[in-house]
Amino acid sequence: MAASTVDHSALKVNQAGIILTILVAFAGSAFSVWFELLIPALAVVMLLGTWRPDLALFKQIYFNFLKPRGIVKPRVVEDSPVPHNFAQGLGGVFVVIASVLLPLSLLLALAVSLLVAVLAFINLAFGYCVGCQVYFLLGRTGVLKQA
Amino acid sequence: MSFEVQAAALGLTGAAVGLAAMAARVTAWRARRHAVGEVGTPIAGEHPSLREPYVLYFTTEQCSTCRLLQEPALARLAAPVRRVDAIAERELAERFAIFPVPSTVVIGSDGAAANVNYGFA
Repeated sequence: MAASTVDHSALKVNQAGIILTILVAFAGSAFSVWFELLIPALAVVMLLGTWRPDLALFKQIYFNFLKPRGIVKPRVVEDSPVPHNFAQGLGGVFVVIASVLLPLSLLLALAVSLLVAVLAFINLAFGYCVGCQVYFLLGRTGVLKQA
Repeated sequence: MSFEVQAAALGLTGAAVGLAAMAARVTAWRARRHAVGEVGTPIAGEHPSLREPYVLYFTTEQCSTCRLLQEPALARLAAPVRRVDAIAERELAERFAIFPVPSTVVIGSDGAAANVNYGFA
């Protein structure tokens, strides 16, 4: 058993933040190109949060604002943060791809971003983390060394 | 102002999600076809000739769905459950073509897999 704990409410807030940002970028892109900039900004937020969890913007909103005010109740469970971080990093890579596609094809950039939002929604609503399954498969095939 | 690009992006994403869901179903169907009938390993200390049906439960140390959903469900089962670390016991995981965790395999009294569930069941 993993001895570490993870606050699943922080993960949920993080997923909700990712979904909301992508939806605003998606809807806003019909009105102004400035909204499209939310996609590269999200890529930075996701990758920064993967590299240094204390810099994860949405999690910090949860820990410093939502949790202390009782807006979102904590749900700390015995869990390993590693697969969740991996999943966020994988999502971040996809958002980077979407960012690179932005000047080339808005259609493809939005489609890739929406795909990330769909995967985040599946995790938020059903607790099924696709990125965590990728992490498991990489471990099972020996590509990624897991404890 | 036009929503053509947004509508096309929605369609493209929907198609990609649909294809991915179909691919997952086909993968599970193929894996199940491969796994059903494969022989399990007896629970430690059990006499091979006195087998009763049991459940092989594939998990990993870092699987939170396993801990939060699958383990409470398995705790309500009357049948014995053998916990298998799908990464540490790779050969056994490959035998039953385990691709997501949690996965459960029902081993019948003949020692062969009678049913395989990929994902939380």
